[in-house]
Amino acid sequence: MKSLKLSAPTLLLLPAIIVLAAVIVLPLLFSLYSSFTPFRLTKPETIWVLIGFRNYVTALTSYEFWTAFGRTVLLLTIALNAEMMLGLGLAMLVNKATHGQRLLRTLMMFPMMFSPVLVGFQFKFLFNDNVGFINNALQSLGLATNAIPWLIDGNLALFSIIVAEIWSSTSVFAILILAGLLAMPQEPIEAARVDGCTPWQTFRFVTWPYLMPFAFIAMTIRSLDVARAYDIVKIMTDGGPAKRTELLWTLIGRTAYSDGRMGFANAMAYISILLSILFTVYFFRKLAAARQQIGAEW
Amino acid sequence: MDLNTSHRFKRRALKFAHLVGLFLAMLVICLPGLWIVLSSLRPTVEIMAKPPVWIPQELSFDAYRAMFGGAGQGGIPVIDYFRNSLIISITSTIIALVVGTAGGYAFARYKFKGKSGIFLGFMLTRAVPGIALSLPLFMIFARLGIIDTHFAMILVYVALNVPFTIWLIDGFFRQVPKDLAEAAQIDGCTLWQAFWQVEFPLAGPGIASAGIFAFLTSWNEYALASQITRSVNSKTLPVGLLDYTSEFTIDWRGMCALAVVMIIPALTLTFIIQKHLVSGLTFGAVKG
Repeated sequence: MKSLKLSAPTLLLLPAIIVLAAVIVLPLLFSLYSSFTPFRLTKPETIWVLIGFRNYVTALTSYEFWTAFGRTVLLLTIALNAEMMLGLGLAMLVNKATHGQRLLRTLMMFPMMFSPVLVGFQFKFLFNDNVGFINNALQSLGLATNAIPWLIDGNLALFSIIVAEIWSSTSVFAILILAGLLAMPQEPIEAARVDGCTPWQTFRFVTWPYLMPFAFIAMTIRSLDVARAYDIVKIMTDGGPAKRTELLWTLIGRTAYSDGRMGFANAMAYISILLSILFTVYFFRKLAAARQQIGAEW
Repeated sequence: MDLNTSHRFKRRALKFAHLVGLFLAMLVICLPGLWIVLSSLRPTVEIMAKPPVWIPQELSFDAYRAMFGGAGQGGIPVIDYFRNSLIISITSTIIALVVGTAGGYAFARYKFKGKSGIFLGFMLTRAVPGIALSLPLFMIFARLGIIDTHFAMILVYVALNVPFTIWLIDGFFRQVPKDLAEAAQIDGCTLWQAFWQVEFPLAGPGIASAGIFAFLTSWNEYALASQITRSVNSKTLPVGLLDYTSEFTIDWRGMCALAVVMIIPALTLTFIIQKHLVSGLTFGAVKG
């Protein structure tokens, strides 16, 4: 009898659990199953054929998969590090400003309001080789004689995508780090100065440790949707030219919807899901540890 | 004296460098958006001009007029997309808020087994890349026959928004002291009254900003919408934006105008919540 009466928190969490189970967990289990079948959209009966790990083996031995994988990791590494550094720099700049800080803070949030699709479109427009702002500006200033094929050359296209990604997400870091700077007590910094620390030492050993949890909150939020790069790439280059900007996610989308190879796409999707989850868990742990360090309850 | 002047000079130089840096940073942040707005107001001839025309000769709202003036402009039904976006975003936000408030309250007020594990589990559902989630959802929804309906999109967006809503609302409830509800109960309120009349109003602004955040997520989402919506029945604005690129000649002005239409609600709403959003995300990181 006792087990029939649900406790208050269980009851409160039940709707959330039901929704997430129905829309996310169950479909994921289904996709896990279908990743062991040769399921094709055009041949519905293939869903019942089990082929073991063959999809995974095909994925893990395919050159296409590993290049997309490597490119995704490269893009994320560059983008996240740059976002972190630039966000820190921006936060410090705004924090130092004596006038109009409110206005600056509002301006700083500007890119956050842009959906990734819009960011993609906007940079597709700016980087357009013919009518784009950047080429026009370079040519008008006499810095370039010919139009630079930003989105047509493989390496430049990847660079353009990274620029778009950094533009759109730096403000997440900047805003949260700024929140940390504003909340920071001034006494330790003054004490460090009085004790003869150089500005760099003050920053490294006093300010930075205090900002860590804020940086990890930003990282955790970012890691929750690293896949938003999909939208940007999809709009800007759609994986082109000649698959030179193909990321894991665009590869999955193409395999599933253009080629109709759902089973194989699901196998690759599972690999990317596991990656995302590892990434998130890692930063979540860091966040919890950093919170503990400054004595917050969790 | 010499040391003094050099010191003063250095200080001035630093201040100047700071201003220049700040200006450049803000320029990079604002320029792309302003360029879009400007381009949406210029005639296509001017956008395509070679050599580029830097100073706009004539500005007009023609692009907007064409967009909302019926099915002209390449037959892109922007009004339908706009309506779909509104219906889907608002409904899913309301449901996500109700579910999220319940969940957030549970996390903020109760101690139970596996609390941080469940919280992490919720967050992990958010970490699944949209495109990866779209594969099974596409197969299941096609089976159930609810593909290309508002219902399917609302369902998906509720699930997408619940984890983050819980995170935010949890933070806001933690900022409301526990004693208040206890005092209300001692004064004769029921548990529900104490929640509804004391704690809820105090956490209200925070919950509202969680709602706006959820709305924006739904408003901007693309990866899932692009697969689950098929036609005018349920296509949202971000998917509709692509209608302009699928043609051989890209209508830059039309796209810019649609981009402006998409960004205006997002812009307004984000300004309203900016303060609460940051405090909600950073709860506990500031005070012990």
